[in-house]
Amino acid sequence: MKLTVTISSALLAVLCAAGVWGAEHPGKSEIEKNGYKGPATCEECHPGTTKGFIDSVHWKHASKVDNVSNLDPKKEYGMKNRIYTMCNGNDIVNNLKEIPKNAEGKSKFTGCNTCHPGNHVSDVGSTGPEAENAIDCLVCHSTDYDFRQRKPFKNEKGQVVMGQDRSTKAALAIAKPTVKNCMVCHEAAGGGVLVKRGFSFTKETDAHAAKGMVCVDCHKAKNHKIPTGFDPNNWANDGVRVACTDCHGEKPHKGLSAAYNNHTSKIACQTCHIPRTGGAVAKDFTVWEKGGDGFYEPTTLKQEANATAPVYAWYNKTVRNEQHFIGPNGSRKDGKSKIYPFKIYMGKAFYDKKTGNLLSMDFAPPMSNGNARAGVESAARTLGMKNPADIAKNAVPGWQTIYFGSNHLVTKSKALNCINCHGVNGVINFKDLGYSDKEIKKLTNPEIYFNQLIEKQKEDW
Amino acid sequence: MKKSVAVMIVFALVALSVLSFSKVASAEEIKMVGVITKIDIAGKDAKTATATLKDNKTEKLVEITINDDLTLDKFKDHRIVVGDEIRCKYEVIDGKNVSKLFRKTAGC
Repeated sequence: MKLTVTISSALLAVLCAAGVWGAEHPGKSEIEKNGYKGPATCEECHPGTTKGFIDSVHWKHASKVDNVSNLDPKKEYGMKNRIYTMCNGNDIVNNLKEIPKNAEGKSKFTGCNTCHPGNHVSDVGSTGPEAENAIDCLVCHSTDYDFRQRKPFKNEKGQVVMGQDRSTKAALAIAKPTVKNCMVCHEAAGGGVLVKRGFSFTKETDAHAAKGMVCVDCHKAKNHKIPTGFDPNNWANDGVRVACTDCHGEKPHKGLSAAYNNHTSKIACQTCHIPRTGGAVAKDFTVWEKGGDGFYEPTTLKQEANATAPVYAWYNKTVRNEQHFIGPNGSRKDGKSKIYPFKIYMGKAFYDKKTGNLLSMDFAPPMSNGNARAGVESAARTLGMKNPADIAKNAVPGWQTIYFGSNHLVTKSKALNCINCHGVNGVINFKDLGYSDKEIKKLTNPEIYFNQLIEKQKEDW
Repeated sequence: MKKSVAVMIVFALVALSVLSFSKVASAEEIKMVGVITKIDIAGKDAKTATATLKDNKTEKLVEITINDDLTLDKFKDHRIVVGDEIRCKYEVIDGKNVSKLFRKTAGC
């Protein structure tokens, strides 16, 4: 019997490794017969995968970062420990927990690491066999996951545990992650649906989604190391990157549009092909608003996907990181920069009166009673700062500007054309980008694009 | 005299157009935030569902018809459940409040 199981497991492993399955993941009969036993079941065909996964950003919520100023190159940074004003809490100070009761006597479980794919007992960055066994493989890989199971609760030891759907039914629906799997966490990051980056990945809003592509077609993982771009506000990375040119090349335009290829050395693809952005434009963590459920949320100015215009700046993929600013480094003359579009966001939070450093916040106190300074005090205590009560009492409200990368909401049909940038009232502010008046006069003269657009006009009509 | 009549006519036209526009706008789209008290959906293949929301401002119960696939999927796998607070836009079509936007207010 054991031999039969071993042989069939080995056969499955070979099939999996060879990638010979189509739409349906192999091993269905094994899972039906033996049931789903968590990551151990996955490991039968994918040995070593759990060890690899707990070394990824999705598990650690942090990595070493080498393109951002004012960081210690030996330390890891990410959602785990960052202090900034889109998410003024982090996994450490705003750890998942049952918050104090509100005025109506109600409590709830909440915290930044709610989305972490463990069970919270094995939390962000945990290692070892217990952590490996706590991985919620199916929340990312099943299309039939029952989210009633993924709720926090307290176990018999009083620990807060994040539940998981480890049913055989969910395991039988495994596949590579769908858009839905990714959006379970990424859609509502930063305090609500489409708040943080403000893009929806649907056929109506993105050219790639319209072609039936899913997130992992571009963010194609290898050993659960998922490639990311160079969003100035997204620091943690698995050491692998994704770029438009990976698929489209450096000279993607053909025919009458071929002239646009002359721009690609200085202008990023996103600049023309992502003409709009969206999501929250500003948030105030010093003033929390009471919701209909009796709990408080930071005051947030929200915008829909495609509702706002981006700001354009030179970017050499290194980041200026200061207490009141996180954004792109770059210039016209450094030989490395291109013009990129950014979503500008401004967040208000508390700064330390003595050091001027931005303070973080535990959301539990303000969420239950609206007292933001109590959140600062709790976070300062968790971080071992001296005199947390004084820090909170004397904290000074202030704004931080953040440039978010604008890398989704891709369009072909509504991409910027010559006039959009080179017209006298175009979207590009050449002055801010370092061009002289003489150059701007030349750049906004129809001589540049007139003949090309006349030809295009003839073709279109 | 002629001038004052002309001014009055212009004023009346402007007022009329503003009022007409406001009426059309409010009839087209209604916004509300409320907590779900009930969800009715007929199984995995359902193409429509109804959710009853308790309006935070008026405390009235409002029944919303939901037809979009993304929200229906969230009902089916229970990413949206009774007790969730929802930001909703809807239009009244053939006597039904048909959802145009149906999102949880909460995030991480």
